[in-house]
Amino acid sequence: MIRRSRLSDAFWSLVALLVAMLFFFPLYWAISNSLRRPVETFTVTGLGMPFVDFTPTLDNWRLQLGTPEAYNALANSSIISVSAVAIALLLGVPAAYALARFRFFTVPNRDLTIWFLSQRVLPPVATAVPFFILFSSFDMLDTRLALTLVSATFVLPFVVVICRQTFYDLPVELEEAALVDGAGHVKAFFWVALPLAAPAIAAAALIMFAFAWNEYLFAVILTIKSAATLPVHIAGGVDTRGVQFWFVAVRSLIAMVPPVLLALVAQRYIVHGLTLGAVKG
Amino acid sequence: MIRWTGRVKFLFLLPAVLWVLSFTVFPLGYSLYLSLHEVERKVVITGREKVPVLKADGTPVLKADGTPRTRTKVIRELQTTFTWNSFANYLRAFRDEEVKEAVRVTVIFTVVAVGTEILLGLGLAWLFNRRLYARGFLRSVMILPIFATPVAVGYLFFTIFYELGGPLSWTGIPWLSDPDWALVSIIIVDLWQWTPFCFLVFLAALQGIPEEMIETAMLDTNSQWEIWRYVILPILRPVIVIVLLLRFAEAVKLFDIIATLTKGGPGIATQSYSYLAFNRGFKMNDFGYASALAFLLLIAVMIIVTLFFRRLRTSYE
Repeated sequence: MIRRSRLSDAFWSLVALLVAMLFFFPLYWAISNSLRRPVETFTVTGLGMPFVDFTPTLDNWRLQLGTPEAYNALANSSIISVSAVAIALLLGVPAAYALARFRFFTVPNRDLTIWFLSQRVLPPVATAVPFFILFSSFDMLDTRLALTLVSATFVLPFVVVICRQTFYDLPVELEEAALVDGAGHVKAFFWVALPLAAPAIAAAALIMFAFAWNEYLFAVILTIKSAATLPVHIAGGVDTRGVQFWFVAVRSLIAMVPPVLLALVAQRYIVHGLTLGAVKG
Repeated sequence: MIRWTGRVKFLFLLPAVLWVLSFTVFPLGYSLYLSLHEVERKVVITGREKVPVLKADGTPVLKADGTPRTRTKVIRELQTTFTWNSFANYLRAFRDEEVKEAVRVTVIFTVVAVGTEILLGLGLAWLFNRRLYARGFLRSVMILPIFATPVAVGYLFFTIFYELGGPLSWTGIPWLSDPDWALVSIIIVDLWQWTPFCFLVFLAALQGIPEEMIETAMLDTNSQWEIWRYVILPILRPVIVIVLLLRFAEAVKLFDIIATLTKGGPGIATQSYSYLAFNRGFKMNDFGYASALAFLLLIAVMIIVTLFFRRLRTSYE
C-alpha cells in the first residue's frame, strides 16, 4: 500500500503487541490463578508468573476435574449445545434457502427475514417467565430436553439469517442447471446448493454452538442440578462457598476453552457470522 | 434476483416458521397474558390420606394386632393462580424507584460501552490495517475474548478487580465496592469482551476497500486524517450502523456479567434492567410484574430499533 519505514512498522507492531497482551491478560490471569495453591491466589503479587513468583501445581485441576458435577455439567453443555444446533440447522437451513431463492408474496421476503432477525433484538427475559411456568407445568424443569428446545429457539434466527446470505451469494445458475436436467427443487437443494454452502454453514454451526454453550439466563432458570450446564455449574459453586479464586479460575477455563477454540477454527467466518451475514469476512 | 415461485417453497420455510410461532410468539403472547395478571405460585395442602408405613423392602410394617401401621401423608400441590389486574403491573413499573435506577444504569452502560467499543474498534482496525509484524497471530489473540463464556468472564474479572492484592489493586480504585466505580468495572468487562468484535468487523470492512480508492485519494491530500474523514469513514458507515445495532441489541440485555460480577451491587448501583426483571420474577416469584417489566423493555427496544435503524431493512432485500 503506502511505503513506510521499517522503524515505524516496528513501533506500531510494538503498540499492537501491547494491545494484544492487554486483551490476553485476563485469560493469562485465570491460567496463573488456576496453577496456584489456594493461599497463593491472595498472596502472590505482581504479574504472578508461574515458576517465577510461585511454584505451579495442577492440584486445582485435579480436584475440579475429579468431581462428578463437573463431568455432568460438561456432558450437559455438550449434549444440549450440539442438539440445539442440530435442530436449528435442520429447520433453519431450508428456511434460509427458501428466503434466498424463492419469492414470497403475502409477506415479502425482506419482511420475513427481518421477522427472523428481530428475534435477536428480543430480550430473553421476555420469554423466560413463560418458559419457566410452561415447563414447570409439564414437569420438565431441570431436563436437558427443555433447555435444548429453548437453546434451539435461541440460535434458530441466527442460522436463518446467516445462511440466507450464504445461499444468496451462491451462483443460482448451478441449481438452475440441475432443474433443467429434471431435478426438483428439493433435489437441487440437497445435491447442489447444500454441498456448496457446507463450509459456511459448518462455520456458522460452530459459532452457534459457542452461543448455545455460553447461554446463561435460560440455563439458570430452567436447570438446577441434573441438567445444569457449565455456566450454571460455575455460578452454583460460587454461591455456596464464596468466590474461591483457584477453583473459579479452573472452572472458567474449562467453560471457555471449547467455544474459544471453535472460534479460532472458524476464524475466517467469524465476521460473516457475527454480523449475521451483513459484512463479508 | 429472487425468482422461483413453486409451492415447494413452503416446505422449506414452514417448519422454521412454525417453530418460531410455537417457541417465541406463543410464549410472548403468554407473557403478555401474565403481565396483565397477578400471578401467584404457592404450594398448598390439598388433602391428607392415611398410607401404610413400609419397610425398606416394601412390605408393610405391622402393628401388634396384625393391622398395618399407618401414617398421615399430606398431599401438597404447586398451584399457580392468575388474578386479572389489568394494567396494575405496568403502572407499578412506572412508579417503582428501582426501575428508574435500573433504566439509568442500563442507559449509561449501553451508551458508554457501545460508543467506546465502536471508537476503540475503529482505532484498533486502523492500527491492524497497517503493515505489522506477526499481524495474523496478534489478530487471533484479539479474537479470544469474543467467545469467552460471559459467566466465566464475570468471575474472572472478580479476581482481577479484587481490591486487596488483585492485579489492579495498586491503582487504589475501589473497583467493585464503590457504586460509580462498579458500573465502570462492568463497562470495562464489556469493553474487553466486545471491542474485539467491533475491531474485527471494521478490520474486515477496511480490508474490503479497494486500494486504488485510497491511492486516488492520496493524490489529493497527504493528510491521513482527511482520507479517513472523507473517504474511509463514509465507506464504513453502513458497517458501523450494523455493528451499532448488534451491539445495542446485546447491551440492553446485559445480564450475565451483572449476575456474576456484582449481583447488581453495591446496593442496586449496577442492577441492569434485565437483571431487575429476572430478580422480580425468579427471586421474588412476582411473575406478573416481571412479565410487565420484560414487555416494557421489549417495547422500548422495538421503538428504538425501528426509529434508528429503519434503513437496515434495505440490506436484507
